[in-house]
Amino acid sequence: MMNSMSNTVEKLKRIVNNLDITKVDEREIKLELPNEQVLPTLLALKEDGYSHLSLITAVDWIDEGKFELVYILYSWDNGGKFLITTKINRDTPKFVTVKHMWPIARYYERELHEFFGIKFEGNNDMRPLFLEMWDDMPPLRKDFDPFEYSKRKFPDREYQKDVIHEAKIIRGDIDG
Amino acid sequence: MGEVKLFFGPNHPGMHGNFSVHMYVEGDTVEKARPLPGFLHRGFEKLMERRLWYQNLALIPRICVPEPDINEACYAMAVEKIAKIDVPERAQWIRMIVLELARIASHLMSFPGIGGTIGLYTSSFWGVSDRDRILDIFESLTGARVYHMYIIPGGVRKDLTPKIQDLIFNTLNYIEERLGEYETLIFKNRIVHTRLKGIALLDKETALELGVTGVGLRATGVPYDIRKVDSYLFYDKVDFEVPTATEGDAYARVYLKYLEIYQSIKIIRQCLEKMPEGKINVPISEGNALRYRVPKGQAYVHIESTRGEYGYYMVSDGGEKPYRVAVRGASYPQTFIGIEKYLPGTRIEDVPIWLSTMDVCAPEVDR
Repeated sequence: MMNSMSNTVEKLKRIVNNLDITKVDEREIKLELPNEQVLPTLLALKEDGYSHLSLITAVDWIDEGKFELVYILYSWDNGGKFLITTKINRDTPKFVTVKHMWPIARYYERELHEFFGIKFEGNNDMRPLFLEMWDDMPPLRKDFDPFEYSKRKFPDREYQKDVIHEAKIIRGDIDG
Repeated sequence: MGEVKLFFGPNHPGMHGNFSVHMYVEGDTVEKARPLPGFLHRGFEKLMERRLWYQNLALIPRICVPEPDINEACYAMAVEKIAKIDVPERAQWIRMIVLELARIASHLMSFPGIGGTIGLYTSSFWGVSDRDRILDIFESLTGARVYHMYIIPGGVRKDLTPKIQDLIFNTLNYIEERLGEYETLIFKNRIVHTRLKGIALLDKETALELGVTGVGLRATGVPYDIRKVDSYLFYDKVDFEVPTATEGDAYARVYLKYLEIYQSIKIIRQCLEKMPEGKINVPISEGNALRYRVPKGQAYVHIESTRGEYGYYMVSDGGEKPYRVAVRGASYPQTFIGIEKYLPGTRIEDVPIWLSTMDVCAPEVDR
């Protein structure tokens, strides 16, 4: 592990109790945190140089009944990455916003609300971002079935008229 | 005169891809701008969850057309990271050559393409025809011109024969020669100077705060490049520079793209020289590759694309299909926050200049 990254981890240990650390790679560390410790950790990491928010995303662990939120922070100084993950309840998916720390988070959160149905307290802009006139459950949840959806939304149609027969009449092959 | 609502895109000669900007305009000044994505959302992330690990290779290059190899490399590298596969050295060098060729092709579409938005059409025609020479290389190497499906988990699909190496060598010489002519056509042109200098300004602090990466950030004087900072493949073993500028305007960004082509050519030449003989891929599974299972785990892999930081966050539950794949589009910050914050105050005719020089790529944002 790089020196500066282990220094950061040492600093974090002072703020956060029972830190669950997984070293994925030489320059990548995953931290699994309880909900209330995510914001202080993100803040500490941001102050320590990991100020580039690469991505906020979520994973649907349907068997556990949880959503896993993933924050990926990157440092331009040493190329280190921190993956901060936390699990929230799947039935009442709610978390706090980080839009005051990173402006772009507003859009990532809006996207997560649209695709997973996760609400972010403090972020009022939860209008749909990509999908238009969506009337089903959030599509990236594991129990959403695209095949069923498309069958319901676009049922097999039968042609009202026999178009080939009509074309033959127009072309003069048969008499109408 | 009152405020007028104006839709810029999804279909407009100055618009790049299927993307729309909803503008409120007073006179010819933009008062408020709202990005409106969703015109080509194809649900790639959900599609990937429903396909086998190997089937996805045919799907992902479709995410962003100018530089499809970035997606393949990210995907393959993430699988290798989760499954702890060691890729042969030769394959890694070939990957670098392919990625840099794709980079040149993408830049050749992008920086002369500015001519299309400001009325200097010759440059965009030149760019497209020169890019075709790179596509010829790809055709002889991979059998396909645009979507290559060449970089696979475990290595690459076919070897780089001496004949193709000659073709690459000759094409690079040709492109290098042509770049001088581009300099005369674009960067000594008064139209370009008048239309691009001092336009679409972005300063260093804001760029860092918004999370803008790539050329947009480097044009503000910050030499950040993932190839240097978080080096992957063998980028730490080749000698190249990261061109920067301090102006932070549209002209600086376009000029940086031009300079980056020289660096890419330099990298490819070194790769061709340093590339050892050997295997080009390792078998990743016994038996049928389609039934390949990636062990449990997750990884985030990011790569420097022409538009900035491009990343894949992948989760595997040990099954035949990815459990979750999240794509980080490189132009996400400049597309959403950038448009909302920076278009107000500019004139209507400068809107496509922001979108073009910031490399807003709709499909990687929409997915």
